[in-house]
Formats: sequence, C-alpha cells, structure tokens
Amino acid sequence: MVGVFASLKWRLVRTRLATGNRAATVAGLLVLFVLAIGVAGLLVWSRSAEGVPLPLVATVFTLQLVAWVLTPLVAFGVDETVDPSRFALLPLRLPTLQRGLLATALIGYLPVANAVLLLGAVLAIAQPWWVLPIAVVCGVVQLLTCVVLSRAAATSMSSLMSSRRGRDLGMLVGFLIFALYMGLTLLLNTGNENAIGTGTQRLADVLTWGPPGNLAVLPALIGEGDWGRAALALVIGVAPLPLAWWWWRRALRKSLTTIGSTTASSAPAGSSTDSAVGGSTAGTMRVVAGRDRLLLWRDPMRRMPWLLLILLTFLYPFIVARGPEGVFWVAFGAILVGTQAGNQYGMDGSGLWLHLMTITDRARARGEVLGHVIVAIIPGVVVIAASLVLQGIVRDAWHLLLPAAGVSLAAMLGGCAASSSLSARIPYAVPQSRKSVFASSVAGQKGVSARATFAVLGLSILLAVPSGVAAFLAVQVADWWGWVSVLLALVVGGVSLVWAVRATADRFLVRGPEILAVVAAGDRA
Amino acid sequence: MDDARPSGLPSGPPVPAYPDGSQLGRQHAGSALVISGLRKVFGAPPREKVAVDSIDLAVPAGSFFGLVGPNGAGKTTTLSMVTGLLRPDAGRVLVAGHDVWADPVGAKARMGVLPDGLRLFERLSGPELLSYLGRLRGMPADVVRQRSDELIQVLDLAEAGGRLVADYSTGMRKKITLAAAMLHSPPVLLLDEPLEAVDPVSARIIRSVLSRYTRAGGTVIFSSHVMALVQELCSHVAVMAQGRIVAAGPIDEVRGSAASLDDAFMDLVGAGEVGEGGLSWLGSSPA
Repeated sequence: MVGVFASLKWRLVRTRLATGNRAATVAGLLVLFVLAIGVAGLLVWSRSAEGVPLPLVATVFTLQLVAWVLTPLVAFGVDETVDPSRFALLPLRLPTLQRGLLATALIGYLPVANAVLLLGAVLAIAQPWWVLPIAVVCGVVQLLTCVVLSRAAATSMSSLMSSRRGRDLGMLVGFLIFALYMGLTLLLNTGNENAIGTGTQRLADVLTWGPPGNLAVLPALIGEGDWGRAALALVIGVAPLPLAWWWWRRALRKSLTTIGSTTASSAPAGSSTDSAVGGSTAGTMRVVAGRDRLLLWRDPMRRMPWLLLILLTFLYPFIVARGPEGVFWVAFGAILVGTQAGNQYGMDGSGLWLHLMTITDRARARGEVLGHVIVAIIPGVVVIAASLVLQGIVRDAWHLLLPAAGVSLAAMLGGCAASSSLSARIPYAVPQSRKSVFASSVAGQKGVSARATFAVLGLSILLAVPSGVAAFLAVQVADWWGWVSVLLALVVGGVSLVWAVRATADRFLVRGPEILAVVAAGDRA
Repeated sequence: MDDARPSGLPSGPPVPAYPDGSQLGRQHAGSALVISGLRKVFGAPPREKVAVDSIDLAVPAGSFFGLVGPNGAGKTTTLSMVTGLLRPDAGRVLVAGHDVWADPVGAKARMGVLPDGLRLFERLSGPELLSYLGRLRGMPADVVRQRSDELIQVLDLAEAGGRLVADYSTGMRKKITLAAAMLHSPPVLLLDEPLEAVDPVSARIIRSVLSRYTRAGGTVIFSSHVMALVQELCSHVAVMAQGRIVAAGPIDEVRGSAASLDDAFMDLVGAGEVGEGGLSWLGSSPA
C-alpha cells in the first residue's frame, strides 16, 4: 500500500509540473536547488573553521524544523496529501494510512531539496570522519522528525485549516513570520559586527540544547568519547520522532472519525449604520468607501497587505539606508499604498455581478473607483506621514522631510492612478478561498497578475519622476525646491488620478461582462 | 450591426442591435421581457459550441414564467445575457421596455436578479449586504433599512443576525439574494434555479414570497429542472433544448394532451428511454 501512496504522490508532482506555467515552475525549482546546494556547500566548507560547524548546523536544523511545522499552516492545501480528510473514505487501517502518508510526504521537490541540504550538514558534523555513519543516521532522523512533526501539526489543524476561520489564521501566521523576519533583519542591520557575532553565537549555543541541536552535536560527542553527554543528546534528539509519530496517529484518528465544528465567524458583523446614499459620484464614493473601510479590517485578504505595508513603510527605510537620506525610502511604502487601489474589480471574484447590476451609469462608476481610491489614500497618508516623522526624529532628517514628502505623495497618487487604470485594463482573478497566504493569483492568470503588478510599480515610479527631480534639486541646490516637489506631486498625481478614474469607470461600463468572466475564475481556485 | 451604445463611452465590443429596439418594444407592448434573435457561441471554430441559438421569446407582464430544460440546454446562458452579465453575439433583450445592452441604467433598475453559482459579498452580514446594495441604487437609508428588516423577517433570516454571508447555508444564500433582488421593488424578477439545493422549509418560503410578488403584479421568470414545481407555480413555460426554444406558451398549451408537464417535457426534449438497458451486473456481487 505504501507503493500505491508513493505512486499517487509521484503522479501529483509530475502533473503539477506538466500543467500551468512550466517555465516558471522549472525556474522556481532551479532556484530552490541552487539554494539547497549553496547552503549544503556552505555547511561543508564550514568544517575548515574551528568551532563553527556544530553551532551552524544546530541553527540550520532548528530553522528547518520550524519551517516544516509552520509551512502547512501558511500554505495548507498546496500539497493535496496533507489534508487527511481526502483519504477518509478509503477502507484503510490507520497504521497503513499513516505509513502511506509518510511516503507521500517524503516524495516531492521540497523533501529532495531538504535531503541535499542535510547531506551538507551530515558532512559538516561528521567530526572525526569515522562518525560519518552516525552523522548520516542523525540526518535521516532529522528529516523524519521534520516530516512527521509537520504532518502531525497539519493533521491536528486540518479541520480548522479547511475552514475559512483557519485560512484567516494561516494568513496571520504568514504575517507574523514576515514580521519576525523583518525584525531580525533590522536587528542585524543596526548592531555592530561584534555584537552580531556574539549574539549569533549565544543563540546557537542555546539551540544546541534543543532536539535538532542535539542531533547536530551527537556525532561529535561520540567522536570525543563524551558518552554521558552523548547519551543525553541521543535521548533529546531522537525522542521527538516517536512522540510526533504518536501525535500524528492520534490526530489522524480524530480527524477521520469526527466532524469539524469550526463554522463560526472569524470576525464580528452586524447591521449597517452607514447612511450614505449612492446615485451621484460623491454619494456612490461614500457608499463604496464605507464597505471597503469595513472590509479592510474584517477581511484578512485585504487586511494582510495593509499590515505588511505598514511594517515595510516603517522598517524598510531603516534597513536599506543608514543616514538621513533614508527618509526618501518612505516613498517605497507610498508606492505600496498606491497598489492597494489595484485590481478593484477582481477582489470579490464573481461577486462583481452585484456591482454590474447596480453600478450602471457614469456617475456611479466613477464614484466606485473613487471610493476604492479614497480607502487607499486616507490611511495611506497617515502611515506615510507617521513614517516620515519617525525618520525625522530618529535620523534627524527634518531638513529632507519636505522633498521626501513630495516624492512620497507623488508615488502614492501615481500608484493609485496606475492601479485604478489597470484595474479595468488588466483585471485578474483573486483566489476567493485562499489556502495559502502566498496565493494571490489563479492558475492560468499568473502572467497577467505579474504584468499588472509590475506595470503598477513602473508607472508609479514614472509618475513620481517630476517630484523626484525637484527633490534632488532641493537637496543639491536650494530648499525651496522641496515645495516645488510637493506641488508637482499634487499636480501630476492629481491630474493622472482624475484621468484614471474617468477612464476606468468608462471601461468598466463598456467591458463589465468581460471583466466578470476573467475575475470569476477566482471562485474556482 | 447598428451600435446602440450610450453616447460618450469609449469603443468596446459592439452592442447587439437586431432588430430595432423601439420597434420591438411596440410590437410586444405588455411584455415584461422580450428576447429577439439572441445568440451565444462559445469557443472558436471548428470547436465552437452554440449555447443559445437565435432564440425569440416574449414573457407576458404579471406572469409566473418557467424556463425549463435539461442540463446544457442554455438556460443559464440565456438568463446571463438577459441580465447583462454575459454579452450576446447577436440579438436584443428588452426588460420592461428597456434594452438591456443599449439602456442598461433603465433595464437594470427594473429587474431583480438571482443568478446561479455566483458569489455574494461574502464578508458582509445579510443586513449589511442589503443596506449596501440598496444605498448603491440610490435608495434613502431609512427606506432601505425598513424594507431590509421586512424582507429578512419574511424570508426567515432574522436568526442569522450578524453572521457573515460566507457562513450562510445554500438556502440562506438563495434567500438573501432574493431579498437583494426584491429590495428596490423591480417589476421583473429573473431567477436562475432559485430552489436548487434548497431545504424544504426555505423552498416553501421562497415560493410563498414569489407568489405574493406575482399577485401584486410583478413578473417572475425562473429556470428550473423540477417539472412538478413549474407545473404548480407557473402560468407560462418555455422549454429549451440544445440552445433552442422548442415550446413556449401558457402551461396547459405546452402540456397539450400529455398526462403531466414532465411527460410533455420528456417528449419535447427527446429523452424517452434514457436510463434503460445495461448494468446487468449491478447488485449481483459485492466487488
């Protein structure tokens, strides 16, 4: 039966490669394997540095385990064999099913890439060389622990992750991982080199006491003849595997014999108290903006980009620049604000039909576009202004604030204009039941969504060029150019926004059914 | 083909304009819905599929009109083109005298729509959805609130309270969509499979509300597979098969001498002996 499961997974892997954008998949796999081989090579190379390989491998093992456990929470459903409910109707005994699922988990590009990485790790920790067989066993146990613990966690969460509430949770986990990454990057960029070295060493020392860390140091301990510590490392390092196996079996039994009960809402809702009335452009704008504002917090698909945007707008200038000129990097956040007005007709999937039935004239159509834009601009201005002030305080960049504000304003208004305009010109479907925080487009439309995204970024930068030139002159020639930068932002951004709103509304009225046909594909994703 | 697009809009796909809309309206005065020469082809030659094959239909105002046909007959495609959600290749549609493609403002203000298989704004609650759509149509907020409260009460959705539409059952989704379709009190309701996969209690509520609506002078046009339901509710019926209207008229006229509408339907679509023959192994052994 294990063979049947293995062939099933192999077929799934091959089918995924054969369908969709093959060039992109192959490119992605190449990057993955180059990375794995690179890290493996780095680990092998670290043998030559005294005292480095063991803490390094302990850290890599720990990160690997954490990544395996978190991945199904962030991207549940990407691997069809993770969800045990798909096998619920098969007449299989639990141990058979579990062994079969283990086989499926070990087949695929990611397990192979992990094996390559582990090969490097095994060569790094085999000190002296005669403990190589022990190091190989440690590598195998590490891979099995990663896989089994990952499946145990995913199975425990399966009923939750199959629900809308669980997918919301997955998006939150994804954001937290990104926030953690940004925080670590910031820390590494703000300290001096010695402080980083000491901190990393301390962290690695702690990690060697965890189960993956103990697997990393076990061969060396045996090589040194430190039998007491080696026995302890063996227990701590190997114990998680049977425990995770037992947890997985328990979770499998539960998930196959009970029905999920997580149907409750993940966000409070109620009756509407909004009193704006559509019909005119201004009225429709207020009605649409009211709904967008409500969904900004309630819908994780809309909330998550804003949380990432806020994080990036505040932290990114500190990461990429060390002096007062970092204040200009706030404009990067401003471009992201502009993208929040993007793909306006794709966000609700086939729900767009409700707008097709009610938004039938020019006034309403323009009001709708403006409503979406306003909900990007108002919070966007607050975030950008706050980030500029923070840069002013921390970096003492007050003298650069005005030109930086000009460039940021131009980037934001230009971004909103570009996003709005492309919403009707290059609409694309958004998956309406996201199983992965990373899934922002549907199969067959990934090229379109990438084209729309890059076009928005390019146009935003282009529309910010006049303000940018004035800002450059403000830094190099005279301060009053800062005011010119702001003025140019208002004129260029304002004019392009007005044009974009009018053009987008007209195009929606003419091409509404065709746009609906494109974005409705998001329902089936 | 004469392009009847409202002036000022940029060029786009041609608006179907055969025959002349005003003439068609005069010819069919008293009709809630007029379809003339409506055609839709999917795919490109040589693999094109004619989903709707130049159909003509007139639905009398105040009637309860059933559009029936087997799967793939073209019912949903027809209703999608009638409601302005799918662009036809040719033909013209008038709803309450307004051309759906040349005068969408007039036509869409006069119709309420319940499509099959399309999503709603899932992260709004039922009352929020109705409030949003009503106000988007330009209705005063207090009128929207009053009508929405009544619809929610009558359609037995009050218990759902603040639950998101995403958490509604199939029956609840049909009912809230029906409420949204009726909110602005349109003279014509176009419903695609309104009772499909709906529990018996919800089905009875929907039928009762629709009957009240037609008694008050409204026109209901709905598609269904369930002949017994069509026979019970409808005053008129049209039978579709392979993209064509094979029979249309008052229900007694379409049924003719057949014992039931179901028998007449089977005869019209040529599905007499389907399901017979073969399967001799069925039930003979467990494996």
